[in-house]
Amino acid sequence: MNEMMRQSLPDYQIQTPDPWAALPVNAESREKLWSKSRTFVGDVWFRFRSKFTSIFGFILIVLVLLFALVGPYFATFTYSEQNLDFVNTPPVFRAINCSGGYFYITDKLKVLEIDAQGHLVGKVESIAEDYEKKQVTLSYQGGEIIMDYSQSPYTMLDENGERIEEAKHIWNRTYLLGSDNLGRDMLARLMFGARVSLLVAVVAALTNLVIGVLFGSISAYCGGMVDAVMMRIVDVINTVPLTLYVILIMVVLDAGLLSIILALGTVYWVNMARVVRGEILSLKERDFVLASRTLGSSTATILFRHLIPNAMGPILVTLTMLIPSAIFMEAFLSFIGLGLTAPLASLGTMCNDALATLRTSPYQLFEPALLICILMFGFNFVGDGLRDALDPKLKK
Amino acid sequence: MEKQYMLEVKNLVKHFPVSGNKHAVVHAVEDVSFRVEKGKIFGLVGESGCGKSTCARTIIRIYQPTAGNIIVDGEDVSYKKNRELQALRRKMQMIFQDPYASLNARMTVHDIIAEPLRAHKVASSRQEVSERVYDMLDKVGLSHEHANRYAHEFSGGQRQRIGVARALVIEPEIVICDEPISALDVSIQAQVVNLLKDFQYERGLTYLFIAHDLSMVRYVSDEIGVMYLGQLVEICAAAEIYEHPLHPYTKGLLAAIPIPVPKLARQKVVSSIEGDIPSPISPPPGCHFHTRCPYAKPICREQEPELRDMGGGHQVACHLY
Repeated sequence: MNEMMRQSLPDYQIQTPDPWAALPVNAESREKLWSKSRTFVGDVWFRFRSKFTSIFGFILIVLVLLFALVGPYFATFTYSEQNLDFVNTPPVFRAINCSGGYFYITDKLKVLEIDAQGHLVGKVESIAEDYEKKQVTLSYQGGEIIMDYSQSPYTMLDENGERIEEAKHIWNRTYLLGSDNLGRDMLARLMFGARVSLLVAVVAALTNLVIGVLFGSISAYCGGMVDAVMMRIVDVINTVPLTLYVILIMVVLDAGLLSIILALGTVYWVNMARVVRGEILSLKERDFVLASRTLGSSTATILFRHLIPNAMGPILVTLTMLIPSAIFMEAFLSFIGLGLTAPLASLGTMCNDALATLRTSPYQLFEPALLICILMFGFNFVGDGLRDALDPKLKK
Repeated sequence: MEKQYMLEVKNLVKHFPVSGNKHAVVHAVEDVSFRVEKGKIFGLVGESGCGKSTCARTIIRIYQPTAGNIIVDGEDVSYKKNRELQALRRKMQMIFQDPYASLNARMTVHDIIAEPLRAHKVASSRQEVSERVYDMLDKVGLSHEHANRYAHEFSGGQRQRIGVARALVIEPEIVICDEPISALDVSIQAQVVNLLKDFQYERGLTYLFIAHDLSMVRYVSDEIGVMYLGQLVEICAAAEIYEHPLHPYTKGLLAAIPIPVPKLARQKVVSSIEGDIPSPISPPPGCHFHTRCPYAKPICREQEPELRDMGGGHQVACHLY
């Protein structure tokens, strides 16, 4: 037993007679850093991708980008193409099989013919309506079919005058995500709406990063009178409600995307300026900034190489909160009718349009709302991941 | 040959306003004068909050002096505007106390050390910048491989050596060391101090060395100034101050040095300074030290003692002499 144990001992114990003897120390091993060396970009990417949620958010944004930019080239309809026969068709039909064809009864008691795959064929013309029996007679392929709306769910009658109770669910192949109240393709309109939202996101991000960060950091770094004057400007801008501001701009320009973007671009950076100022105020008293001043670095160097990079965490957090809120703001302004004019679509106007038919066609509200959610999620996740990735102290 | 002074500080005063009270000020530095000879090390000691760091920061013009003059290499820099200070920044550099806070966490070591070179446009090309950075890394005992690392990856001693490299890369003539070793492990302190001494031998640098650790200052300095509550109370040669301390405060500081031999330590007289340092907002009248001084006389409460030469360059501000 003892013999076996001795044999199983690892090699080093046999080679070193004294287990407590100090290992040889040389200068190289003392100064060695054991973490791996990477370039800055590689390092940021490594930390970014090692977090699942940030990659997930990144993929979400890329997908929405593809959807908005590439999608329209594959779509059958444009965002403004109307077909008043196919109004409010849902993504999934409740189709009734009758006289060899499939029929869908709309909420306005129109009967639409569908083929077996789910393509819309056309509207079935009505011949006569019996108001007492609550039945409509329609002409179909030379013969007659009868639609009964005496009780819900509305259905068709077979040859014997019996109600057909069974119905089949068929996917809408013509309008994959349904059509809106003017018979326009929801999918094409969502693509267009996503474009508008992303454009607003880009504008908001740019103005925040350029104007907001510069304004805030210069104000904080200069201090004194400069700071006081610059911050009062921010206060004044902040007291004018954005809605009023957009209306004022629309007096000069026309209603539409341009005035929204102009409004967001000129005033949407004030929160960022405040956050950056607060951050820089505390950073500028730190030793490394004082050190940089004693080294003789210029104000620009101190601002762009010391202060702003170190304030990047709060900047990105604010940015990831401001981008979704800018998207929201555009949707809101469009929703209350200050934004895009028809037939242009944004996610906000689509939500607004859906309100009228909310009870019969809830998908019209659900789809743009879902897309807004996806965008918010994406930006929030990416911002979260970026903040961690840009902080070299979290290096693994 | 006449002595050449690298740094002359004349009657330097620095007050800070107290927020919320317009009339009160913090008397951080009160009428401080001293001279540092070229190529020598001047040690400035005193307990925490006595104004050593403020003095250093005013000399290097992070702070604007309230009164007095700072003369660096014959040039008065006390009231120059920021733009005109570029020449001073080349001549005078500073090593900071906290190696963790004084290096930018978002910059690589290469960029940190290259910053003064870029600020003063000393090097003509990127390549020259890198060469000088690598050269400096060699001198402070770090390898080229470390250049692409971030400051937080290093140990405290390594970081302080990066700080030394940054201060010395543009070859200044005088370096202010603001407690460069107090944030370090005892085992590493010698490493940094020896590095600083090596540079002094090599380049004939002048140091203003600030510390609260008298035993280390004795090892480093040629001349020592003792500060108390914003004022210099004693200035003399380093060896002299340990053998013949005059000011009661200096005696108290020396008594506080731990003795590494237990037998001798037991014989030591217990430190004679008691109580806390008074508030610098309203310093006591007369000699600032009289509230804690075991030898205080009535005159100490009324009249402020002046710094007087006791012979051999040993100056002291005390009514006892």
